[in-house]
Amino acid sequence: MATRMKLKLKTVFLLYFMVSLLGLIYALMQLGQRCDCTEHDFPKDRTISRLRGELHRLQEEMRKFEVTKQPQKQPAKPSLPTIFVITPTYARLVQKAELTRMSQTFLHVPRLHWILVEDSPHKTPLVTDLLMKSGLTYTHLHMPTAKDRKLQEGDPSWLKPRGVEQRNEGLRWLREDRRAQPGGDNQQGVVYFADDDNTYSLQLFEEMRSTQRVSVWPVGLVGGMKYERPVVEGGKVVRFHTGWRPSRPFPIDMAGFAVSLKLVLANPEACFDGEAPMGLLESSFLQGLVTMDELEPKADNCTKVLVWHTRTEKPKMKREEALQAQGLGSDPAVEV
Amino acid sequence: MPKRRDILAIVLIVLPWTLLITVWHQNAIAPLLAIRKACHHLVKEIFIIPERLAVRHHRLSDDGVEGKREAGGQAQDSKEYCASDKDIVEVVRTEYVYTRPPPWSDVLPTIHIITPTYSRPVQKAELTRLANTFLHVPNLHWILVEDSQRRTPLVTRLLRETGLNYTHLNVETPRNYKLRGDTRDPRIPRGTMQRNLALRWLRETFNANNSQPGIVYFADDDNTYSLELFEEMRSTRKVSVWPVAFVGGLRYESPKVSAAGKVYGWKTVFDPHRPFAIDMAGFAINLRLILFKPQAYFKLRGVKGGYQESSLLRELVTLNDLEPKAANCTKILVWHTRTEKPVLVNEGKKGFTDPNVEI
Repeated sequence: MATRMKLKLKTVFLLYFMVSLLGLIYALMQLGQRCDCTEHDFPKDRTISRLRGELHRLQEEMRKFEVTKQPQKQPAKPSLPTIFVITPTYARLVQKAELTRMSQTFLHVPRLHWILVEDSPHKTPLVTDLLMKSGLTYTHLHMPTAKDRKLQEGDPSWLKPRGVEQRNEGLRWLREDRRAQPGGDNQQGVVYFADDDNTYSLQLFEEMRSTQRVSVWPVGLVGGMKYERPVVEGGKVVRFHTGWRPSRPFPIDMAGFAVSLKLVLANPEACFDGEAPMGLLESSFLQGLVTMDELEPKADNCTKVLVWHTRTEKPKMKREEALQAQGLGSDPAVEV
Repeated sequence: MPKRRDILAIVLIVLPWTLLITVWHQNAIAPLLAIRKACHHLVKEIFIIPERLAVRHHRLSDDGVEGKREAGGQAQDSKEYCASDKDIVEVVRTEYVYTRPPPWSDVLPTIHIITPTYSRPVQKAELTRLANTFLHVPNLHWILVEDSQRRTPLVTRLLRETGLNYTHLNVETPRNYKLRGDTRDPRIPRGTMQRNLALRWLRETFNANNSQPGIVYFADDDNTYSLELFEEMRSTRKVSVWPVAFVGGLRYESPKVSAAGKVYGWKTVFDPHRPFAIDMAGFAINLRLILFKPQAYFKLRGVKGGYQESSLLRELVTLNDLEPKAANCTKILVWHTRTEKPVLVNEGKKGFTDPNVEI
């Protein structure tokens, strides 16, 4: 019995030593790992202290602004008139690219309301998603063009007027929307027709904001010339400098004028006439609104070009078409 | 009875050791987690503050801002800043619609954008809308290289007025390398000398040892870039790639990405066996790599059409090192748009419009 107990004790001790040895080895391993962890910590600590420093700096700047803002709050500031930009668009390969860079420009302009009208029987998911992610204030409309008014494949771009129904739909929505919200402040605004392939500088929007009736400015790369512009003498528009049919009532491009919202609402019948002969689309709208000497010249008395009538090339799809004929076209699920 | 006692003894011996081990484990892991949490919290604060700062900037100039804008662009995708397994940090995007340009962060890697440009009627328009895009990207440095004998006042003025962080360089391509008129001869690559000059400027300006993190991207002045693209490329470690729309006669060209996230080929029709069958707008290089390999430039002579990008990338990385972006190369974030040459027939021989007006 005693020897058995002794033996048992021996084994117990042996077990104890083995367990403790294993435990120590395990602890040593842990120790080794811990070293690695602290190495990880240092760069993180550095990042944290850097972030904290930046946080403090930015908070200081914010506090500074708060301080300077207080005294300015006393005088009542008039709110900026909203610029309503009406853009007709239609589905084609470069549509998403054009709308993307347009939205990137508009994001810089305060108090801008984008009215995007699709030439389509229903709203497309591409445009819906784009507008949602853009961060802009927008209204998404759609109005299909009648088949006989639409340009066919291979037609030159000047054959039929484009975007007429869409711009008129934009005007119609605007008038309805403003009627639904009575109030003097809502009548303040400027309406501008912006095509989705032009290029706009940010200064343009600040120039047009002060429009009382209809303001005009030069447009670059249009009418077969470097730029077209109204000629200003004594602060008034006397004629138009254009190379193509200057005898039109308003020989100006769609991107070359803006109308005040008040004027649009006061003339509920004014809209674009799709039947107008080539080049007279703008005139069909402006004729009923204003006369030439009432026009307000902007852009430094119409001497600066702040908007360009750029056009984007149609991308060559020969290889794509060849592949599609073989059934190996690119994945249509990938949105371009 | 002895058995039970023995068992009790064994348990009593083993128990303290197990306790010691578990306590040690906890001590090792917990601080790590705490640090990570603190890191994330701070990052969210840092990047939300610029937005509030932006809104205040705006409010100084105009009271009564509508709430619609906030409602319009809410939930922006936020990526983790404190990813422990990445060397270069990723960024949390926020709305900063009105501060132009966005506040410069000390921790974001700088994106150096190299753009060659040349004088033509649409130049000012192209650069204007490019600048409008870049004004949204934080920590952007624009290196604009003109193909001209002297820096033109048009570009000088434009760059100054944008308020962007820029470098204005110029080098003239000798006549026999330039494209003649309208003939498109793809054997003569355009913009090569300008891009090489920018690379040389980067190498002369930044030291390989203590340079701040940066990414180099070649952006042509007529393409269209989404803002998401710049955030994707910021996490480049060597060279990252993504699809480009409207190149190679296809809807888009893209790298072939395996399920493991590695690039193994190119989904193009035009010569897919090029070492790097990718467009200039489809890749970005980490600045460190550019500085470590100072002999890597675009090849000027004897380059076949479509091989220009390969002439540079071949000296920098292998196919295996490429990092696919844009959701494993399934999203289009850059479009190779081209602007039509404007018809100027009515200018006539002598020029109808006043040449003093800049377009």
